[in-house]
Amino acid sequence: MKKVWVIIKREYLVRVRTRAFAIGTVISPLLLLGLIILPGFLAQRGGGGERYVTVLDQSGDPDLFAGLKSRVESKNDSNSDEEFNSSTRFVLTRQVVTAEQDPRELIQSQSSGSGNKGPDKAFLVLGPKILDDVPPEYHAKNLSDFSIRALEGAVSATIAERKLMRAGFDASKIGQYMKPIDLKQFKIGAGGESTEGGMRQDFMVAFALLFFLYMSVLFYGIFVMRGVIEEKQSRIVEVVISSVKPTQMMLGKVIGIGLVGLTQIGIWALSAGLLSMFGAKLFASQGGRVPSIPLNLLVYFVLYFVLGFFLYATLYAMVGSTVSSEEDAQQAQFPVTLLLVVPMMIFGLVMSNPSSTSSIVLSMVPFFAPTLMMLRIAVINPPAWQVLLSMAIMLATILGFVWLSAKIYRVGILMYGKRPNLAELGRWLRYN
Amino acid sequence: MNVVELKSVTKRFDQFIAVKDLSFEVRQGTIFGLLGPNGAGKTTSIRMIVNIFAPDDGDVLVMSKQVSPELQPFIGYLPEERGLYKKMKIGDQLVFFANLKGVSSSEASRRVDDWLKRLELSDWKNKKPTDLSKGMQQKVQFIGSIIHNPEVMILDEPFSGLDPVSVDLLKSVILDLKQQGKTIIFSTHQMEQVEQMCDDICLINHGRQVLSGSLREVKRRYGKNTVILDYEGTDSFLGVDLVKQHKRFANYSEILLSDGADAQEVLRRALEAGARVNRFELVEPSLNEIFIETVTGSRNRAQVAEAAR
Repeated sequence: MKKVWVIIKREYLVRVRTRAFAIGTVISPLLLLGLIILPGFLAQRGGGGERYVTVLDQSGDPDLFAGLKSRVESKNDSNSDEEFNSSTRFVLTRQVVTAEQDPRELIQSQSSGSGNKGPDKAFLVLGPKILDDVPPEYHAKNLSDFSIRALEGAVSATIAERKLMRAGFDASKIGQYMKPIDLKQFKIGAGGESTEGGMRQDFMVAFALLFFLYMSVLFYGIFVMRGVIEEKQSRIVEVVISSVKPTQMMLGKVIGIGLVGLTQIGIWALSAGLLSMFGAKLFASQGGRVPSIPLNLLVYFVLYFVLGFFLYATLYAMVGSTVSSEEDAQQAQFPVTLLLVVPMMIFGLVMSNPSSTSSIVLSMVPFFAPTLMMLRIAVINPPAWQVLLSMAIMLATILGFVWLSAKIYRVGILMYGKRPNLAELGRWLRYN
Repeated sequence: MNVVELKSVTKRFDQFIAVKDLSFEVRQGTIFGLLGPNGAGKTTSIRMIVNIFAPDDGDVLVMSKQVSPELQPFIGYLPEERGLYKKMKIGDQLVFFANLKGVSSSEASRRVDDWLKRLELSDWKNKKPTDLSKGMQQKVQFIGSIIHNPEVMILDEPFSGLDPVSVDLLKSVILDLKQQGKTIIFSTHQMEQVEQMCDDICLINHGRQVLSGSLREVKRRYGKNTVILDYEGTDSFLGVDLVKQHKRFANYSEILLSDGADAQEVLRRALEAGARVNRFELVEPSLNEIFIETVTGSRNRAQVAEAAR
């Protein structure tokens, strides 16, 4: 064991002392934080500018336009509605068009040539039968703009309002009838108690944990593989294994690099904690929301990182031992990386239906458990037996793979040249 | 006392037999040459001594005990395929190697300083291998293999790539270690070095022993069948009946005599042919000759055996 410790120490210190480690530790959370906060921030601040919309009105109902204009302008100013957070200010001008005219011809004539109001000019067509379920049309050069949804909402509400008026409702009360209702969301906790929360917040926390777990396991797994290849390429292995058993060397490397990962995660968790304590206030005052991550989730995160890392790191170590160059490694590592990527492609299924049989089964598969079970824990509170079972299955798998990898590793690290095929790998298992 | 002993050791990889029924003994305080052509099974044998491989049959004894992890601290190994961690300071690497053999860090760093000084590398202690020349890296690797003061040192091609000054320096270190009673197993293709340094040798080919014993005795076994002749003039006087092999060097010829041929006959014919002889010497064959003769001979025998089957 003392020798394993010597290896662990080397692997750990050599990596933690590098500049790359310091930079990676600082940059990645900033990057993720940026990904979460920046879009909202930009939308709030950046301002998409003004969008001039010519309303080609064939409805013959001036109140329809007036209602629409006031609704859009009030939303422009209020900023309270989430959809209108997306910044763009709409400036509507009305152009009365008779029912006989073809609005499309008008649009064409106004858009061709070096336009008068720039590329942002758009048209909203309110047809003669707009109140009889003939939908309005929106014509613009740029349709990939989320703010259109805001306009859509305003048009829809205004038309509904006009319809209600036509049906004889009291105009003064329509506003009250039409007020949108927010669904208040409560999360049922482990003890059965409900706490106010939201799908959005749950989603953000779950996704952040999932993403970090995936990245960390992948990143540090590849680290192990590259470490093994480096020792092979620099021909240092033979010196080392004349002092320690190959299995000890492999374990020392895996544990050492795992500790580097834990150190990094520890720093992240600490900053996340500090951020939820102090940062929440800071951002709340600016209208942003910082989700707080419950402590128990962080504990699970660390547990699943350790298990997931161990499982994949032994596989990556095995892959590294069988190849002689980074180029060969690119191909050889593919099946392992695929196992890690699959849950990232199907996590949506599990997130939307975390208690279904397929979700439960998927989260038990040892290769998927670290990510998918972590996700289920973040979204719902799965029964304790499921969590424990997934950990037990992982542990058993890890032991199996440590045994297998050790057998391959001790032969592989001394082999140079051609990559072995599966039959050769099978024969390696029988060597003394 | 025998410090290392192989007893009828066999090692197979699938169908391939790397080492077959190999036995030899290495006496304490001697330099032992383990020789053989490429692919003969030298590295496999060495790896069994340092406990990287386990033999399929037979026993490998180090200090009279079955080789085991407990014995590894008493063995130092400089493999032919060797290297250093690229991103680690020289001093740190050497302490790491010593730690692996169970030497404490404080003791290790004291020894590292001593050795770096002795091999004229003190200025490089805090440099990384990428800053060092290949020869310097070789010397660092050598220190790494003996930093734990082992009883047995196994050096596989320790001089390859070194300049003559460094070779001399290392040789004196190795001979010093021998003086202190350490045992050295030396594997190389450079026969002059074996002749200069080794007490005993074992020559293996195709995983089998083909020649072994003390260097002096092995050479005596071949007798004085080689003539060194330094002459001016034509070499037409050398008849095929006398000469098995004739090697011309810049200033002299090395003539391996046919079995039963008389050396005096060579001299007589040379004088008859009117050549001016500056030097005539009857010597034992060089180890190089013995090596080539034995290896090609055993290959021929193997081919004959193969054909007979």
